[in-house]
Amino acid sequence: MENELKVEKVQPSKEELDVKRTKQIQKVVKIVVTTFTYVFLVLVAISVLFPFYWMLNSSLKSLAEYKWTKPSFFPHTVIWANYASAYTTANLGDLFIHTLYVGLLSTLLSLVITVLSAFAFARLEFKGKNAMFALLLATMMIPGELFTITNYATVYRFGWQNTFAALILPFLVSVFYIYLLRQNFLQIPNELYLAAKVDGTSDFKYLLKVMIPLALPTLISITILKMMGAWNSYIWPRLVANDDAHQMITNGLRSAFTTTDGQTDIPVQMAAVAIVSAPLFLVFLFLRKYIMKGVSRSGIKG
Amino acid sequence: MKKNLLVSSLVALATIATLSGCGGSVAKPNFVIPEGGYDGSEVTISFYHTMSATTLQPTLEKYIKKFNETFPNIHVEHEQIGGYDEVRDQIKEQISIGAQPNLAYCYPDHVALYNKAKAVATLDQFIDDKTVYTTTNAKGEQVEYTFGLTQEQKDDFIEGYYAAGSSYGDGLMYSMPYSKSTEVLYYNKTFFDANNLSVPTTWDEMWELCAAIKEIDPKCTPLGYDSPNNWFITMCEQMGSGYTSATGNHFLFDNQKNRDWVTDLKTQYEKGYFTTQGLLGTYTSSIFVETSEASDVIKSYMSIGSSAGATHQRPAKDAEGNYPFDVGIAPIPQLNVNKPKVISQGPDICIFKNENPQEVCASWLFLKYLTTTVELQAEFGLASGYVPVLKSVSQNPVYKAAVEKANGGENIAALSAKVCMEQANAYYTSPAFVGSSTARDQVGALLEAVVTGSKTVDQAFQDAMDECEYSI
Amino acid sequence: MVDGKQQWKGWVYLLPALILLAIFTFWPIVNTIYMAFANGYSSLGNAGGDAVYEFGIENFKKVIQYKNFLNCLKNTCLLCVITVPVSTLLALLISVALNSIKFLNRTLQTIYFLPYVTNSIAIGMVFAMMFNIVGTYNNPITVGIVNNLIEALGGTAVNWINAGSSYWANMAVMIIYIVWNALPFKILILLGGLQSINKQYYDAAKIDGASRSTILWRITVPLLSPMIAYVVITGFIGGFKEYTSIVGVFGDNMGPAGAKGRLNTIVGFIYDQLSNDWYGRASAAALILFLIIFAVTMVNMYVSKKRVHY
Repeated sequence: MENELKVEKVQPSKEELDVKRTKQIQKVVKIVVTTFTYVFLVLVAISVLFPFYWMLNSSLKSLAEYKWTKPSFFPHTVIWANYASAYTTANLGDLFIHTLYVGLLSTLLSLVITVLSAFAFARLEFKGKNAMFALLLATMMIPGELFTITNYATVYRFGWQNTFAALILPFLVSVFYIYLLRQNFLQIPNELYLAAKVDGTSDFKYLLKVMIPLALPTLISITILKMMGAWNSYIWPRLVANDDAHQMITNGLRSAFTTTDGQTDIPVQMAAVAIVSAPLFLVFLFLRKYIMKGVSRSGIKG
Repeated sequence: MKKNLLVSSLVALATIATLSGCGGSVAKPNFVIPEGGYDGSEVTISFYHTMSATTLQPTLEKYIKKFNETFPNIHVEHEQIGGYDEVRDQIKEQISIGAQPNLAYCYPDHVALYNKAKAVATLDQFIDDKTVYTTTNAKGEQVEYTFGLTQEQKDDFIEGYYAAGSSYGDGLMYSMPYSKSTEVLYYNKTFFDANNLSVPTTWDEMWELCAAIKEIDPKCTPLGYDSPNNWFITMCEQMGSGYTSATGNHFLFDNQKNRDWVTDLKTQYEKGYFTTQGLLGTYTSSIFVETSEASDVIKSYMSIGSSAGATHQRPAKDAEGNYPFDVGIAPIPQLNVNKPKVISQGPDICIFKNENPQEVCASWLFLKYLTTTVELQAEFGLASGYVPVLKSVSQNPVYKAAVEKANGGENIAALSAKVCMEQANAYYTSPAFVGSSTARDQVGALLEAVVTGSKTVDQAFQDAMDECEYSI
Repeated sequence: MVDGKQQWKGWVYLLPALILLAIFTFWPIVNTIYMAFANGYSSLGNAGGDAVYEFGIENFKKVIQYKNFLNCLKNTCLLCVITVPVSTLLALLISVALNSIKFLNRTLQTIYFLPYVTNSIAIGMVFAMMFNIVGTYNNPITVGIVNNLIEALGGTAVNWINAGSSYWANMAVMIIYIVWNALPFKILILLGGLQSINKQYYDAAKIDGASRSTILWRITVPLLSPMIAYVVITGFIGGFKEYTSIVGVFGDNMGPAGAKGRLNTIVGFIYDQLSNDWYGRASAAALILFLIIFAVTMVNMYVSKKRVHY
């Protein structure tokens, strides 16, 4: 490379002028490209945001206005009361607490299990490791709908109906998360592990002190996914624990707004969806920094 | 025509023969009342329904308290499980592991499904029981009670509703009617009066009227019919052409009469006379209550929909607090005015078998209370907009007072109830069996496929039959 | 290398996961296989107590003979084959574009991740609203914002999802929705990958005078290939299970009025069978689906082994 540079310097000054012009052209190109990039990104952002805007828009309309054949872009009369009635009819306070409890507990347990398994698959050597891993990956391909009926029978046999155990335990292990974390662990260079071994650090200590901090972004991603799972779960909780003391948020949402003739007060329901989404949005905004910073830091391998 | 009549009457005869055959020899009630009836022990019975917590559950709870004055040890735990489909899905799963509730809201096809597992208790043994038992009420007094229904009580039920409880082909009773609705014709009374139009009573009148309305307002779609499923099934009943049968070859709807009717309907659709919820893309009530005069707004002047949805068929109040037009409610058009047929919808309640016979007995006592208590039926009917299942409710002072105030504006729900009560003799029920809900969906789908031209008549009927056959 | 202690240790670390998997994943799979091969298995029939099953391939036969099964298969495959590449490519472009800018970077990132925190059925209803036409046979009225836009740009309104709409109009809406829904996860993964690429590669390329597109295809994509392989493989696995997005837009009918079930997928078919209590048929269909996904994943893995640069 140095050779090339030297050669360049020997070139006559006409070339230098060209370089100047090229630089100018490059500048123009850069501006055009940047503008184009922004236009593209902003358009994508608008199309991503639109449905949310529409949700908020609908949540502030009266049911009559919502049913207009030509929908209005802003509510003609803003009905804030939708939010109040959403909160009270769905008993959102209790639902929040149940969901938070299930979400936090299952996230915590799930993280422990995932970390242990991913570590075993990524760093430990034992017979049958690859076969086991392949087996786990294969289960990811089976449509989960079919697990439901058998699992329901199992939970019932254990006497777990209407308990938090039934909501938490069956979905604690996610092969997907194990896979995600294992990939992350694999990126941490072997040298670190070998060095630790030489220092006499135990596997467990190494896992705690080195691997977990390095994989923190992935762990945070898993946390968010798991919390969202609790927030969005519907079919399973409806089956196993749908009493007042355990009801989860989506189930409450679905059943609270249906009137006897089967019509749903959609604006109030949309208001409830907005209320329910708010905490998740906030957690997300708060953790986003962590995720992105962490993801870039973890890329030791490049 | 004559030949057709002969054939259908033969079919009817054969059906009756098989029905009575089954009822007489094969099918027996599947529950035996224990000696002494309900023994007064502490039992908790669970009841799944779809009643909303704010509007209907308070009424239910009020009457559970009254029920407990007589039976203090029967504890009713009731729970809203989403809508009807959710109730069915949940109970289906629960039956497969023996964890079903004691009582539940049901539609006949749900019962047919549950009965694949023989999970529903028959009610005949209770209804026909003549024994008088005694129990201790909340005040500690000895009181007498019976399981059975008196002839008077039986006769008080609207026949069509009561008959639905035994529409399973074996002649046995599996469910009791609780709150019902039907289809009624809502029309824009103000518009009708202004243009001197009369309310159609037959389908011929209906189509003539549509033509007349089209002349007055060429851009409108005169009629909105919410449910194509109901339309097809009701027409099968009105024409006597055959829809389904609880026994033998279940699916009878692929016949020439029905094909001709659907073909004719396509020409009416192409003249722009009607739409359905699916074809329109939203509730047909939304174009019925439309009052905007803008050029690009569709309007309709008639709407056929659930009698329980009357308040949705009323336009929004204007700035002065008046309704922009007056709504009239009438029975739906008929083919033969002397033999009217209208659908009956809305939930029945069934009782599930249980290891503890006391729970079954207690469930029946509660079910009997729910369905035969006139005040409860009246109050629940007024709160829900559904039609009570007892004829004598119309004599109930509270109900009577409400119905007397019926009008097409503020008291539209009462007006709808009044129209329903007046056609109590017209209700029919469709047979229920595994696959009957598929048939219901398929006939509606074929109707829409034919009128939109997305399938030929042959193709649409063939596809619907194939789907039905696959479902059993 | 492998000493006895490590052997033992590996399984200890896996133990909690394995116990739960055995109960809630492996056993259901075994049970599914049993139900699939028990001729005419039905859960309620079973609960009724009078069911004795012969074992055979009756359920599989029944599933394959069903005349709409091929249609379900076609829809599923089409959606997969179109949406996975499109969403991956779009996510790649967005991530690269996002990675190249400073101003608004964080705001845009946040916005792109928002679809992540939503319920696909609820937002599906919003999409249906946007593409909707409310109208009647000879009197259509455009109301959906999409058609308003098309008309504002001088085009004619398209019947996207309503009665009388064409198959490809329906598919277009589904493709747009599924891609919209799939973007956040893919952007998240790809952006993470991009940010971990060593800047030196780019500096070197710039000195060599490589063009933007060369940099993209010759440097960025190869370096990102493990992440791309990952999102493609999981995209296909998820794509073959497509169901709730279609319910969101078309409701339980899985198609427009007049063409019910037109957009049904294999998972949709499985649900239909479950709700009719045909667990044997549902299990058979699930096993067929599993075989398809397995085959496709194997092909994906094979291709990515050849193409991915670790």
